[in-house]
Amino acid sequence: MLLPLFEWLDTFRVGDWISTSSWAAPVVNVMHIVALVFVIGSLLIVDVRLLGRGMTHQPVATVARDARPWLIAALICMLLTGFPQLLSLPIRQYYSPFFWMKMRLLLVALIFTFTLRHKVTMADEARVGPVWGKVVGLVSIALWTLVAVEGRFIGLFS
Amino acid sequence: MSLRTLFEWVDAFPSSIAMREHLYAFPALLTLHLISLAMFAGLVVMMDLRLLGVAFRGTPFSEVQRRLFPWQIVGFVVTSIAGLLLLYAQPMRYFGKVLYWIKIALILLAGVNMFVFHFTTNRKVAEWDTSGPPLGAKVAGGLSVFFWAGVVVFGRLTAYEWWTYE
Repeated sequence: MLLPLFEWLDTFRVGDWISTSSWAAPVVNVMHIVALVFVIGSLLIVDVRLLGRGMTHQPVATVARDARPWLIAALICMLLTGFPQLLSLPIRQYYSPFFWMKMRLLLVALIFTFTLRHKVTMADEARVGPVWGKVVGLVSIALWTLVAVEGRFIGLFS
Repeated sequence: MSLRTLFEWVDAFPSSIAMREHLYAFPALLTLHLISLAMFAGLVVMMDLRLLGVAFRGTPFSEVQRRLFPWQIVGFVVTSIAGLLLLYAQPMRYFGKVLYWIKIALILLAGVNMFVFHFTTNRKVAEWDTSGPPLGAKVAGGLSVFFWAGVVVFGRLTAYEWWTYE
């Protein structure tokens, strides 16, 4: 169904340039992975706090509010360095099961992070109770780890 | 024993050969290595942002450092074990790669930076813990982000056959 879209993406010259250049693809990929470090760091510092560990000196909401601009900035960098990689080989991505798995998980992880997780981190901790914070923290770690694993598999198995 | 003889010696181990020839050992270890490195470096970088005075400013630095430390150690241990196993499986693949040795040098530099900070600026942490960090703390935080980002960059570039000797 989406094949025409990917065929259209394949017509852009910039994609050809990235895939044929000897250095463009590695450079973009390296920037993508440096941004990943910031994404994982700004997520994990909050998730660990949700588990009742880490920076317990501060309320969950404070840690989450401090981490949020770094998470959003890092996610924007991910998008800006991820899209050129899609543009370089759109047809190969279209036929990669790992690409689709990553995109599905990414969508779920993004929605989860900016709705449920956001709500739980900002809510009054006494009202949320000890269990929900832990569940949300664990789900967040699991979801984003899987997104990263699928991302690594795109490069390894296609 | 020279480094080359050591690497060649390990390269001939039956267990090294078995890992090299195993279909999924490399992708599995590489994925584990990357994820745990991202967790380790991610939490180190968050601490560095506090050192630079640009994030988590409401939390004393000593608190950020002390509370994240056990999690950083877990990430470091896992990524190191996975990394050493990757090296164990293909020692001669990495031996001649200049980019690989740059990565190792950057890890050592990050370690030196950490120790220098620990025994200088961090000794007087009580004086600046809740206020703005002094220059020494900012330098240590900046260098740490620079070195660990470099480790990630050169680790990724190790996959390419650039700048490789026999």
